[in-house]
Amino acid sequence: MKIGIPRALLYYRYHTLWETFFEELGVETVISPPTNKGILDSGSIYAIDESCLPMKIFLGHVEWLIGRCDMILLPRIASLGRQGSACMRYQAAYDVARNAFRGRQIKLLDYNVDLRKNGGQIETFLSLGRAVGKKRAQSLHAYLAARQADKAVGTAELLHQQDLLRGDRCRILVVGHPYNVYDPYVGGPVLDCLRALNTVPIIADIVDRREALERSANISSTLPWAFNRQLVGAIDIYRRYVDGIVLMSTFPCGPDSLVNEIVVRRVRELPVLNLLIDGQEGSAGLETRLESFVDIIHFKREEDITLA
Amino acid sequence: MKAYLGIDVGSISTKGVVIDSKNAILASEYLWTEGDPMGAVRRLLKALASQLEGKDVQVAAVGTTGSARKLTGAMTDAQVVKNEITAHAIGTTSLYPDVRTIFEIGGQDSKIILVENGIVVDYAMNTLCAAGTGSFLSSQARRLGVQVEEFGEIALTSQHPTPIAARCTVFAESDLVHKAQIGHKKEDIIAGLCKAVVTNYLNNVGKGKKIAPPIVFQGGVSKNVGVKKAFEDATGFPVTVDPNGHLTGALGVAILARKSGKEQPFSFGVADMDFVTRGVECGKCSNRCEIICVYQNGRLIDSWGNRCENGAIRAAK
Repeated sequence: MKIGIPRALLYYRYHTLWETFFEELGVETVISPPTNKGILDSGSIYAIDESCLPMKIFLGHVEWLIGRCDMILLPRIASLGRQGSACMRYQAAYDVARNAFRGRQIKLLDYNVDLRKNGGQIETFLSLGRAVGKKRAQSLHAYLAARQADKAVGTAELLHQQDLLRGDRCRILVVGHPYNVYDPYVGGPVLDCLRALNTVPIIADIVDRREALERSANISSTLPWAFNRQLVGAIDIYRRYVDGIVLMSTFPCGPDSLVNEIVVRRVRELPVLNLLIDGQEGSAGLETRLESFVDIIHFKREEDITLA
Repeated sequence: MKAYLGIDVGSISTKGVVIDSKNAILASEYLWTEGDPMGAVRRLLKALASQLEGKDVQVAAVGTTGSARKLTGAMTDAQVVKNEITAHAIGTTSLYPDVRTIFEIGGQDSKIILVENGIVVDYAMNTLCAAGTGSFLSSQARRLGVQVEEFGEIALTSQHPTPIAARCTVFAESDLVHKAQIGHKKEDIIAGLCKAVVTNYLNNVGKGKKIAPPIVFQGGVSKNVGVKKAFEDATGFPVTVDPNGHLTGALGVAILARKSGKEQPFSFGVADMDFVTRGVECGKCSNRCEIICVYQNGRLIDSWGNRCENGAIRAAK
């Protein structure tokens, strides 16, 4: 049996967990390739017009997996309990995909998280193990190994980023959902551009998640969405170490449209750039915005801007 | 005498200046891009060369800005290729050292630049939507059967500007048609449009920004006195429009070229060279990038548009 995992949405947050879990169970996985134009185009055909860019990309990845695996893993997250709720897209992704590809005879593997109703993450993984025909003890063992692997990767990333906070190079905090920041088709050009402008991008997603959730209250204590809360908390953690903040959102993200406004109003001591990304082909608008933003920071740092 | 050339190629118009080492303008030209940036640059260079004829001027460095800055930079082998926001800020602060706020409305975009002590501290630019920019005004002028150049003067004659929904271009247009059909006077509608542009601007790019005087208003739309007056009414501060306001981008990038320290004699003979661009679709992966190749007299001099290294086309230097 082969499990397909779409390289989209929550993949970027949970991939070590998922991949290790299946590996430990001896279940083969196939992951769709990094987003490219072909994937976005096919996703756009299946998504409704008003759908957000990440959702279109997600459907493109699901489409790519059809015929290449026996089951496709589709997470559905309703609530992360005290951490907050999730955007409607995470709740709907499973059903949207099932409906969009009805008649294509696909088998979906659901991964439900609703901490208000069910137990913790462990329950979710046990039922995932059951669905692929594994015993409870096997699944439990695989889950614990996956947890450990995920923690190790997270710690390594965090240590690497802490190294970047030293030295006097110009640092820009990039605040965005992992599926935007790490997607080479969406956030890739932004990170490349920032590096080409001689700055060090600091990724808000790489953070001690528990600390970030707590510190988000320093900027806003009323945000409903867990993932946004974490990003806002990361701003509070990193604000002392960076020269500017880029808020990277994809069009038309509901939670981000509210949260970005709050950040712009409440984080006053740093220049903030609100960067909205759609499926546009040209990169000229992006370059203009990032280059002029970095120029402002260099002006402030009294560096020769023609060097940038 | 050493001089520096700045070229600003926007979506609608192409601007160029030649300055001396004290930023004084020796020659300047303003013409329409007409969807052909390379042709426009060629015409621009010819016009500048003829203005400088008989003078002992040698251009030592070139800077380009505006949405066609890369293309123009490749054509002229420019020392500095800079975004238009920085270029405008540098140009405007050289003319008005004590400016605090710069409003800029161009053909396709609008921006606000905040300056403190001659240093840019913040800016904002319209996001995905071009509502309230020059293109919107000129399409509405056409609809009303008025030359866009007369727009401002007509707006000033209005006593009671018609309120027009400013949020979205599409809705503004249907609102405008509706207001005309129920009998609002043309000058009131035009004045209402100018007001709508300003409201839209202040609520979008200007949102949350502290607007302090002195204010300088530039970009193509600044030539419209109706919009200038609407800005003064809305902010309560006088708004300055420089007669050379359309040149500040070109001026700014010429100053940056001068300050870059990189020098290489430039010949206006570039205008007579043959430039061709060709779009090639890269088939090496499913991104299918459209790569633009620029040829000078049949020789590839630059290329861009590839998302990854696979699509890199090396120019023979």
